[in-house]
Amino acid sequence: MNNDIQLESIIEDYLNGKLTPNEVAAFEQLRSNDPVVDHKVVAHKVFLESMKQYAHVLALKAQMDNAHEQIDVASISAKVKPHSSKIVRIWRNNKSAIAIAASFIIMIGAVLSSYYSKTKQEGSLQLLDRKISRLNQSQNNIIRVISNDAKKVNHAPAKFGGTGFAISSNGYILTNYHVIKDADSLYIQNNKGVSYKVKKYYTDPINDIAILKVTDLSFENLGALPYSIKKTSAGIGEAVYTLGYPKDDVVLGDGYVSSKTGINGDTLAYQIAIPVNPGNSGGPLLDNNGNIVGVINGKESKTDGAAFAVKSRYIMEALNAIPQDSLNKRVAFGKKSVLQGLKRHKQIEKIQDYVFMVKVYN
Amino acid sequence: MSIKLSNSIPTDREVVLGILNNSEEALNKLYVGYYPMVLQFILNNSGDEADAKDVYQEAIIVLYDKIKSGSFELSSKLKTYLYSVSRRIWLKKLAQQSKKTNNIADFEDVLAVDEDFEIHEEKDQKFDQMKKALECLGEPCKTIIQDFYIHSLSMQDICEKFGYTNTDNAKTQKYKCLQRLKKLFFQS
Repeated sequence: MNNDIQLESIIEDYLNGKLTPNEVAAFEQLRSNDPVVDHKVVAHKVFLESMKQYAHVLALKAQMDNAHEQIDVASISAKVKPHSSKIVRIWRNNKSAIAIAASFIIMIGAVLSSYYSKTKQEGSLQLLDRKISRLNQSQNNIIRVISNDAKKVNHAPAKFGGTGFAISSNGYILTNYHVIKDADSLYIQNNKGVSYKVKKYYTDPINDIAILKVTDLSFENLGALPYSIKKTSAGIGEAVYTLGYPKDDVVLGDGYVSSKTGINGDTLAYQIAIPVNPGNSGGPLLDNNGNIVGVINGKESKTDGAAFAVKSRYIMEALNAIPQDSLNKRVAFGKKSVLQGLKRHKQIEKIQDYVFMVKVYN
Repeated sequence: MSIKLSNSIPTDREVVLGILNNSEEALNKLYVGYYPMVLQFILNNSGDEADAKDVYQEAIIVLYDKIKSGSFELSSKLKTYLYSVSRRIWLKKLAQQSKKTNNIADFEDVLAVDEDFEIHEEKDQKFDQMKKALECLGEPCKTIIQDFYIHSLSMQDICEKFGYTNTDNAKTQKYKCLQRLKKLFFQS
């Protein structure tokens, strides 16, 4: 018994490095001669390590419990627990994307300004709203002049036009900032030719995004939106299409994502190969599953077939800026598009009720 | 209404250096800083606050051990790493409760942390083994062993604390306790 106790304490001292070199040598001699001792050493080593790890974890947990005491768990969990509103969940789900977006904006701003000062760009960006008088400027906004197309009896002819699409069933419409920036009054017109008065609700000049709100009392709830917003970015070659109002009826534009960056490497935007025309600005860019991947906002004036679209994640950012209580429950932003698997013409049939012509008066 | 993490989040570098230098403050700041992120993830994926605390503490231990072992590279963000480990741990727990693990609502980017997770599983198993063995050991053995191995008391202190007439008696008692504990530990 006493021998065992001594052996055990020697093993422990040996493992803890407390023996003198002479003792170590003697002990190792004993160990190599006696398999029983060797086994005890190995077993005790495993045990001591487990005990050490156990003590270590206990200590860490105790320290973390202390730190935990300082946290006001209830108030945080009230903030982060699943929200009844889907749109808030979507915002939260994309908060990292939005953070990245924000940092990109700053970075790109810096890069672009230095780039502009050094290089003379051959082509220039045309924003696709429809104002003919601006077409010859280097940065054209392509808003189609529709002064000849008087629509509603009670309205004077609109000066410019663009496209917009519903982001909630209760009358929030997203379009490009450049379409509406100089507007005195704004109307949207659906594919049946009915106009509704809208007002600017939110503008984001940096991302060229604006959100309009229908103020007309005659506006009826649109029902659940058929499309959803795509969280991830689209890849090069992905087939995309857009609906827009370059004329008074809705027009389909078909093509593919041709670059993950916009003009001058602008990471806020995609370059897309879709023939777009004045009036397409603000139109939704959808993939084959009916997910919105972007918003058409411009084209390169000197390159054929190069148009640009603001990436969908910046739509999220815009949504993030709307106070949640201004959107009622009917706001629909499903993750899964009901258009998935439908043929193109069926998709368009469903979507076109949610795409509007934006008419600008000034 | 995105969630604002507390303003006092230390930089990744501060945390790594702090942990390497055994700074309690660094660990506390790390803990307080990223807790809301994990709480949000758990609450949105069929867990409650207690689950969040358990999972988060485990994830911190994984991170802590990885930093201590010197194999943590600052190529990945601490935040992403912690999130990914917490996520992996929680998915495992959900699977154990045979709850659905598809349709997980994510809030951050996710890294592959399978290797670290497996190492953690192994350690965690040993921890439970030791915990169980100590519980089965009974008093006064449990306290003697804990005092000696965890609280690093000397045999002299233990002798006085438990009122043994001399340290040899205490040593004998400790030896007997240790033998039983080792048996329990290696058997389970």
